[in-house]
Amino acid sequence: MSVEVSQLVKKFGSFTALNGVNLRVESGELVALLGPSGSGKTTLLRIIAGLEFPDNPEARVAYYGEDVTRVSASERKAGFAFQHYALFRHLSVFENIAFGLRVRPAATRPPEPEIRARVEKLLHLVQLEPMARRFPGQLSGGQRQRVALARALAVEPKVLLLDEPFGALDAKVRKDLRRWLRQLHDEIHLTTLFVTHDQEEALEVADRVAILREGRVEQIGTPEEIYDHPASPFVYDFLGNVNLFSGRVKDGGVVIGETEFALPGRTGEVNTTAVAFVRPHDIRITRNPAGAKTFPARVIRSNAAGPVANLELARLDGGTPFTVQLSKELFQELAPKPGEQVHVELKNVRVFSEDYSI
Amino acid sequence: MSSATPNHNPSRHPATEPAWVRRLLIGVALLFIGLFLVAPLVSVFTQALVKGPGYYWQAVSNPLARSAIGLTLLTAGVAVPLNCVFGVMAAWAVAKFEFRGKSLLLTLIDLPFSISPVISGLMLVLVFGEQGWLGRYEDAEHPWFPWLQQWLNTHNLKIIYAVPGMILATVFVTFPFVARELIPLMEAQGRSEEEAARVLGASGWQTFWRVTLPNIKWGLLYGVILCNARAMGEFGAVSVVSGHIRGETDTIPLHVEALYDGYDFAGAFAAASVLTLLALVTLAVKTWIEHQNAAQNAPADKP
Repeated sequence: MSVEVSQLVKKFGSFTALNGVNLRVESGELVALLGPSGSGKTTLLRIIAGLEFPDNPEARVAYYGEDVTRVSASERKAGFAFQHYALFRHLSVFENIAFGLRVRPAATRPPEPEIRARVEKLLHLVQLEPMARRFPGQLSGGQRQRVALARALAVEPKVLLLDEPFGALDAKVRKDLRRWLRQLHDEIHLTTLFVTHDQEEALEVADRVAILREGRVEQIGTPEEIYDHPASPFVYDFLGNVNLFSGRVKDGGVVIGETEFALPGRTGEVNTTAVAFVRPHDIRITRNPAGAKTFPARVIRSNAAGPVANLELARLDGGTPFTVQLSKELFQELAPKPGEQVHVELKNVRVFSEDYSI
Repeated sequence: MSSATPNHNPSRHPATEPAWVRRLLIGVALLFIGLFLVAPLVSVFTQALVKGPGYYWQAVSNPLARSAIGLTLLTAGVAVPLNCVFGVMAAWAVAKFEFRGKSLLLTLIDLPFSISPVISGLMLVLVFGEQGWLGRYEDAEHPWFPWLQQWLNTHNLKIIYAVPGMILATVFVTFPFVARELIPLMEAQGRSEEEAARVLGASGWQTFWRVTLPNIKWGLLYGVILCNARAMGEFGAVSVVSGHIRGETDTIPLHVEALYDGYDFAGAFAAASVLTLLALVTLAVKTWIEHQNAAQNAPADKP
């Protein structure tokens, strides 16, 4: 593997930013560090870059098997793009990108024509050739981010680290740029870690996603794995909308209201109270419950604006309201009205044994 | 045309006061500027030339005046670069790092601003004077650093009532200018550009010369100019430690005082006009720098 960290602990005063983080990133992978603010994801990235150092002596940071735990940032030479770009405001775009090459000692510094050639190539890669003479203050946010990326790539780093690369951009530019980043990664295959708090971004761009919570890695896996098989209620909740149903776990199933839903792979538990997790698109509603396992609920309101229709329902026997996502076709076919009673069927029910509340 | 449509007269902004109020306010402001700024400035030059250009030239070029001008340039020439280095170091430490005693350091930096210059001079006399803690003679009351006293004796060096003391006094009094100018600027700029330089492989010195210094250069120049203006014009602290040896320990302000006390008003104003000219040049340079700064920062102001 190319980047490996183990047992990282980092405190800022009384706040514990990292509390024993272990992470292995394979060579050429694009990994997202996803978590809410305060989960330690930026601190983890900064420790990997060498901008911060872990507090505990047993912590390890390794690049391609080489221990760099106590090596300074200037010697590690990871490519790092800052959240607010941190471009050198007194230098042109060209000189910003050339900076990492120009500060090398004379022995390893490439000759001037080669520096020029390399910068030109990077300007082409980030599609900013006409902007070479501009200053950072004259660029848009998306252009600045691309300059920051080109500057980081100029030193030919073994690892690319991006801190909230799209965080400060508006929604449209952000979508374009993250598609562009994925393409870029497919072209140059550089081991890349990026920090984000946007689950959609992480799931769309990354090969693997590491979910951080309170200074620990809660789960790591491919976007599909973590979305379909969340390891904890936290991951389940963090990766999208979810409905909670209180019920009781019985051998191989969960009873919600009067109805029992299957829980594959869960046997042996006897009649304990539990909370069932169901995604809004895993709920079906019908008027004719014949044969299916359903429970009754009342429609509170519906909203069909956008690509899918959202319904808010309440169980007849109480509990918090829940949301259901329907395709437009199904919604038009059913045409549910507020106040109407329907039957609800649940698919892919998940129950976590630990206590959890949202 | 405009009289036909009074409501659309562009000069008649709704927030504008009646004409007589405007004229009164502008008049008061002009009168004030004239009385307190322009009149003294003009009077310095007219008084200096009251006995004719020949006397003026003699007054600014005699050996005593030349010695005073030379000493003024020397003290400023030593004090300003020293405070430039100290100021950048202090501002760097305060703005870019967190450490215990930071607020104490900030207070110490401001100390010369809050102490009367005469007291500053007196403190130096108490520390470096012949009977002081770091005094020159072996019979000093409290020889704290005998080796220093010995060394000063052997090399026959005097601090107080001599040029070194005047330079020390000027350094002390002008210490806060550069640091005070740079601290808010460096705090606003943050650390991320330096971090970016480090990650790109730059050494500490390269980071300072290539990233930090270019970002603060206008603020630094501005601080240096203020520091220089004060260094050349300082009277109180320098007066206490100088000993007033004509032709040896007189700077221009002290020379002006000596001439004035000797009823040579034309000579005093002639010497004063030299200092005034230096101040005007300083102001012009300052204005030019502000202009350059504004021109450069206009497009690149957004972070």
